[in-house]
Amino acid sequence: MLPLSLLRTAQNHPMLVELKNGETYNGHLVSCDNWMNINLREVICTSRDGDKFWRMPECYIRGSTIKYLRIPDEVIDMVKEETAVKNRGRDNKGAKSQRGRPATRGNFGGRGGKTGNIGGRNLNPKPKQK
Amino acid sequence: MSTGLDVFVNHTVSIITSDGRNFIGTLKGFDQTINIILDESHERVYSTTTGVEQVMLGLHIIRGDNVAIIGLIDEELDNRLNLANIKAEPLNSVVH
Repeated sequence: MLPLSLLRTAQNHPMLVELKNGETYNGHLVSCDNWMNINLREVICTSRDGDKFWRMPECYIRGSTIKYLRIPDEVIDMVKEETAVKNRGRDNKGAKSQRGRPATRGNFGGRGGKTGNIGGRNLNPKPKQK
Repeated sequence: MSTGLDVFVNHTVSIITSDGRNFIGTLKGFDQTINIILDESHERVYSTTTGVEQVMLGLHIIRGDNVAIIGLIDEELDNRLNLANIKAEPLNSVVH
């Protein structure tokens, strides 16, 4: 399981984010990207020493400043479902293209080589193909 | 090519971060930047006066930038430790 898939799954869940400078941000994850940049809503920021607090309606955190994210335990079980659904989709596609492929491959004669070119010309007279 | 970390997946690992903290938990996944998913994790806080304090934390994503060491834990040996009797100086953070 990839950490960023887990993070994507944690969207709309509450989480705690500690930055490298020691500040922590508590809020609900709105969105994230492949660089771990994140959008939080209803945020409470706590200073490094835990003695000062700031509330803000939303904030954007650059991924590279994050030390770690603490997310609810149940999120990890939701990732499994998502990947299972994705794999099922991939399997179907694979089966379909395999069924179609052998005939087409044979007719076009594969890549390069004399026989291949001849086969391609005969069966596919479109000038664009050359 | 394997990074060598895949053999640790679903095992208990100890992670020392560059700020000198020690996290223990089950490695559930990682990526090419060594971002890490740590499940059922706790932090061990070392001190010279009282024994090791364990802070339960739960599910974590640790960003690869902060990971210094990942070690496989021998669970049987680890269970035999009496952490309350272990006193140690806390680690300093990494000096860049």
